[in-house]
Amino acid sequence: MDNVSKIYGFLWALRDVRLEIGAGEWVGLLGPNGAGKTTLLRVLAALAYPTAGGVELFGQELSYGNSPLRRSVGFLASGAHLYDSLTVSENLRFFVSLYRNDVGADDRATVLNDVGLHEKRDEYVSALSLGMRCRLAIAKWRLVRPRLLLVDEPYGSLDPSGVEVLNRFLESTCAAGGIVVLATHDVPRLLERCTRAVMLDQGRIVFDEPRQDPWHSFHSAFDALLSQDSGGPR
Amino acid sequence: MNGALGQIYWLLWKDLLLEARRRDNLLSMFFFGLSLLFLFSFAFEISSENVSRMAPGLLWLAFMFSGTLALNQLFQGDRENDCLDALLLAPLDRGAYYLAKVFFNFSLMFLLELFILPLFGILFRLDFWHLLPNVLLYTLLGTLGFSVVGVLFAAVTLRARARALLLPVLLFPLMIPVILATVRTLQIILGAGTAAELVPWFRLLVGFDLIFITAGFLLLEWVLDG
Repeated sequence: MDNVSKIYGFLWALRDVRLEIGAGEWVGLLGPNGAGKTTLLRVLAALAYPTAGGVELFGQELSYGNSPLRRSVGFLASGAHLYDSLTVSENLRFFVSLYRNDVGADDRATVLNDVGLHEKRDEYVSALSLGMRCRLAIAKWRLVRPRLLLVDEPYGSLDPSGVEVLNRFLESTCAAGGIVVLATHDVPRLLERCTRAVMLDQGRIVFDEPRQDPWHSFHSAFDALLSQDSGGPR
Repeated sequence: MNGALGQIYWLLWKDLLLEARRRDNLLSMFFFGLSLLFLFSFAFEISSENVSRMAPGLLWLAFMFSGTLALNQLFQGDRENDCLDALLLAPLDRGAYYLAKVFFNFSLMFLLELFILPLFGILFRLDFWHLLPNVLLYTLLGTLGFSVVGVLFAAVTLRARARALLLPVLLFPLMIPVILATVRTLQIILGAGTAAELVPWFRLLVGFDLIFITAGFLLLEWVLDG
């Protein structure tokens, strides 16, 4: 992302964001509400146009509309992007068919089994809890296997075994040379796994460093941000 | 099935399955169309000499108003749970998405017409059963014209706050050639004209359908992603 800005009306959701992510990285995106995390994910997914600046994915400029790059990008949004009146297996079949036509019933059954939804395969999505919907989204992206996976606030809805299923999937994506960008408020859980932490505040990147053990500089930056938010000096 | 054809198949499969489970579109269209036909048949006392001139216009008003109800709901299923974002995120040919929506809307309208046409014959005391193949041909051409323009404008108004109002305001003026041609051809078939008079209207209908199906196919990407 090269100097990307995004303005909604009079609000700067992103301001001069520069970000370069290498293959195999798991980037944790942190920041308070309204910091611009979801907007950044939407710009990377080509679901929102940047007002200024440009985005390049895998060496190609990101274009809007239908482009071959879309095959390489996944967006795991907790609870969203599923049809309530279709069953679990129908949702999976429909969405995966838009990306690939070589996925058979056995592949779908295996993945549903792995995410713990095999018993629920004939239930309508409207009857699923938020956590189960998130597991279904994991199953979908496991079958699609995107090179860039954008994940928006998944931990709030998943139980510990669901978190484990998600983390295993994200780690396998990175191990295969893919990129994960995960936005969350669950700082400890994210810092445990991510290989790089990026913190946003009011649309700007205020912290961007690779993994440290322990995350001393991240915690000082995070504390500084918290003190600003609670009315401290800016 | 590969490529755009496969995508049309899956999108149509999804829309038909959602409609079969909810039935809200078809039921509201059917009852609205039926109510309009009843109202027209009681409101206008049409003499047997005038029936072939008047009835096609009333029939098409009923189709058009019911069809607009369906168009207003056309993208509703995809708007729930931000599914439209999931579709736009996918490597989905926007032209395929447009054609799937046209086929879906056309199927709903065709089902409605299968219900309404016999009732129309009974209510207006029209003996048109021997003319049914011709009536169906021109009705289907008109319906296709309605769907190809309607789907494009339903997409244009998709994110508008007052889309239920905006859609007919934008759509109805553009529908004038289709309504005019379909109503006129039905009048001719029912006896208010000669067979030779059908040809220019037939050409107009086919031309309109071809132009707008091409325009919609090319423009939907700009409408949805723009």
